[in-house]
Amino acid sequence: MASQDKVPQTETTEEKPSPIIVQMAIFAAVLFVSSLISPLFPPSFPVPTPVIGLIILYFLLASHIVKLRNVEKFGDFMISLIAFLFVPSGIQLAASLDILKAQGIQIVSVVLIATIVMLVVVAYTTAGMIWIRKHVFHRSVDVKS
Amino acid sequence: MIILTAAPHMAVWGKWLGDALGTNAAGAPAGNAVFGIFLSLLVYLIGQWLFKVGKGFFLFQPLFVGMVLGIFILFLMAKVFGTTTAEFYKSAYKPGGDIIFWFLNPATIAFAIPLYRRNDIVKRFWLEITLSLIIGLVVSLFFIYGAARLLGLNDIGIASMLPQAATTAIAMPIAAATGGNAAITAMACILNAVIIYALGGWLVKFFRLNNDPIGAGLGLGTAGHTVGSAKALQLGSIQESMASIAVVIISIVVDIVVPPFAAFMGLK
Repeated sequence: MASQDKVPQTETTEEKPSPIIVQMAIFAAVLFVSSLISPLFPPSFPVPTPVIGLIILYFLLASHIVKLRNVEKFGDFMISLIAFLFVPSGIQLAASLDILKAQGIQIVSVVLIATIVMLVVVAYTTAGMIWIRKHVFHRSVDVKS
Repeated sequence: MIILTAAPHMAVWGKWLGDALGTNAAGAPAGNAVFGIFLSLLVYLIGQWLFKVGKGFFLFQPLFVGMVLGIFILFLMAKVFGTTTAEFYKSAYKPGGDIIFWFLNPATIAFAIPLYRRNDIVKRFWLEITLSLIIGLVVSLFFIYGAARLLGLNDIGIASMLPQAATTAIAMPIAAATGGNAAITAMACILNAVIIYALGGWLVKFFRLNNDPIGAGLGLGTAGHTVGSAKALQLGSIQESMASIAVVIISIVVDIVVPPFAAFMGLK
């Protein structure tokens, strides 16, 4: 009985997510390395720390050096908070109210145009690319398969 | 000190509140962060509540309400303390706001996780996705630049408008590096989401974007950030996967495309 009990137990401990403190440490390590790399880029071509961290974490996951269970609990929690984390960057505008007073309507109009343009242009460009993939290279465009 | 001399009639409670908020001392100590953190949580939760009570009215998006209400409260408090909104923001709100803002770093790199979960799609379509986003963004940038010039924005305003497709934590440093105002860019990113939430479904129908589900997904993720992928889920799971991929990839594409574009257009 005892040995039978032990087998599934070791299996479940392997599947278990890493402790949150370990997951935080992985994020901190990735951010630390990224913050060392970021200043190496010239000011004319800035690569912010989160861009590098995003790429590093993706390749760590893709190469199975870091497994999903090592990072996903903390990562999903951070993503669930993301709208709240944007609040200070929105309120930051309080320091630039004079710009908004001078050009507010123009800025909001440009944002409205930009949003619609990005949506439509990206969607049509992609439709073209998918058409080329299907009709020129004869590759499957079925996402599900 | 500025506050006390500006409003001497409120010296007593002004000094007490000023100490608590950290507006009395230059080089604010750590305890003052409490106000910024509390205000951020308060306005965001009010936004969530309004969104629920208002049955999802588009202007009641929690983040948008949080931004407007937070600025309004700071504006009123600055009036009470007899200082400018910008000054009051810097001394009272920013220490706490910066702490919350810092957590955008781990939250942004956490987007690698949903991207990796859809790795099968990424591997099969990476060429189409990256090419579409690069070409789509370059074409969009010309439109955005043209619209901004026509409406008479100055170079700072234009440079603030260009990186808005990226997620806020990435768009802001790029805006600053190309001579823009990071706060304006952050507002643009928030407005993108408000606009896509309000008009996304209608725009998809009007321009018949859903004829190509992959395109509709990438477009919604690019234009509306994470709200775009929530909107894409209403169209279907392919659209949602593509939108979540686009939110991440477009941020990297913005980093590669926008600084050279700004230099090419002679900004900064």
